[in-house]
Amino acid sequence: MKRIAEILKEIRPEFDFTTSNDFIGDGMLDSFDMVMLVSSLDKAFSISIEGVEIIPENFRNLRTIEALLRKHGVQE
Amino acid sequence: MNPIRTTSEVLDAIQQAKAGASDFSTNFFLNTRKLQEWVSAKELYGEAFGRTAFFLRADRGFWHLYFSAPNREELQRALAAMPELRTEQFVVDLVGAEAAVKSWISIWESVGFRPYKKLFRMARSVEKGLALATFREPRIDFAAKADSRVLFDMICRVFDKYAEQLPTLYEIEMATESLQILTARSEGQVAGLLYFEDQCLTSMVRYWLIGEPFRNRGFGSALMRHYLARDVAVRRSVLWVIADNKDTIAKYRQHGFAPDGLFDYVFANEMIRE
Repeated sequence: MKRIAEILKEIRPEFDFTTSNDFIGDGMLDSFDMVMLVSSLDKAFSISIEGVEIIPENFRNLRTIEALLRKHGVQE
Repeated sequence: MNPIRTTSEVLDAIQQAKAGASDFSTNFFLNTRKLQEWVSAKELYGEAFGRTAFFLRADRGFWHLYFSAPNREELQRALAAMPELRTEQFVVDLVGAEAAVKSWISIWESVGFRPYKKLFRMARSVEKGLALATFREPRIDFAAKADSRVLFDMICRVFDKYAEQLPTLYEIEMATESLQILTARSEGQVAGLLYFEDQCLTSMVRYWLIGEPFRNRGFGSALMRHYLARDVAVRRSVLWVIADNKDTIAKYRQHGFAPDGLFDYVFANEMIRE
């Protein structure tokens, strides 16, 4: 979870992602940001998140991102 | 092409492309409110070839083409089967990190699209407590609905209709009602405008322009400073700019914006000859 928060902070330094449960609804991430985040997560964890997984539900908060990473075998 | 009458038709078609997709791709980044506006205005049409869905939005005599495809092969086959591409004007936006977007370009070139413009996104933080500057000249205030036609004409004169997703008159009217357009007024005229959309913590600058007779008088800066100092929850401001528009990019940099790594490649088909 800590590493995910760090990656989010690198992409959007102006926000504190640990205080929100809805990054999309709160306007912290838009659909374009999700594309960038996927690219950073792919690189950081050596995985390949598929296009079909780039949906708001998977990027709503730290827990949903963590769950997505777990599906790709990432254990934090 | 069939007119789309409900937003769920769009969502269902995207879902069909996603189901079991091996290399799903789309350029249709859904904004539910915008989608609803397009459907209500009867601007949106749809067409499906197998699991690939195309959405076409009518705009000033040409079409914006959006797609949802399960993989590259099916997208290429669907494009080849689309007769309108040979008779009507189309533009397509491919958005993402530069390397990812480049890997899709050959498909579009194979069906007659060519690069038209490249845009990139810039962003900046918006700090709380910026002083709201007051100006005697120009006067900054929110546009009124009665200004809509003037604003529409100004935007259409300055921006590129194929690359910059220009608003319709009805969009501008709605934007004035929801206080999304700041104007700079001088000598009894609208000298410039800054059109933005807030979504909670993020705000997007859609159009920022000063009319020709009013340039080089600090009006643009006055508008931008006023926009950034508004007492709202916004913490980040983003915008898209054409990559070779050096003067405008320099102005955005002066106001603290920097590229954030996202690109938009705009491709035009052979029917567009500009």
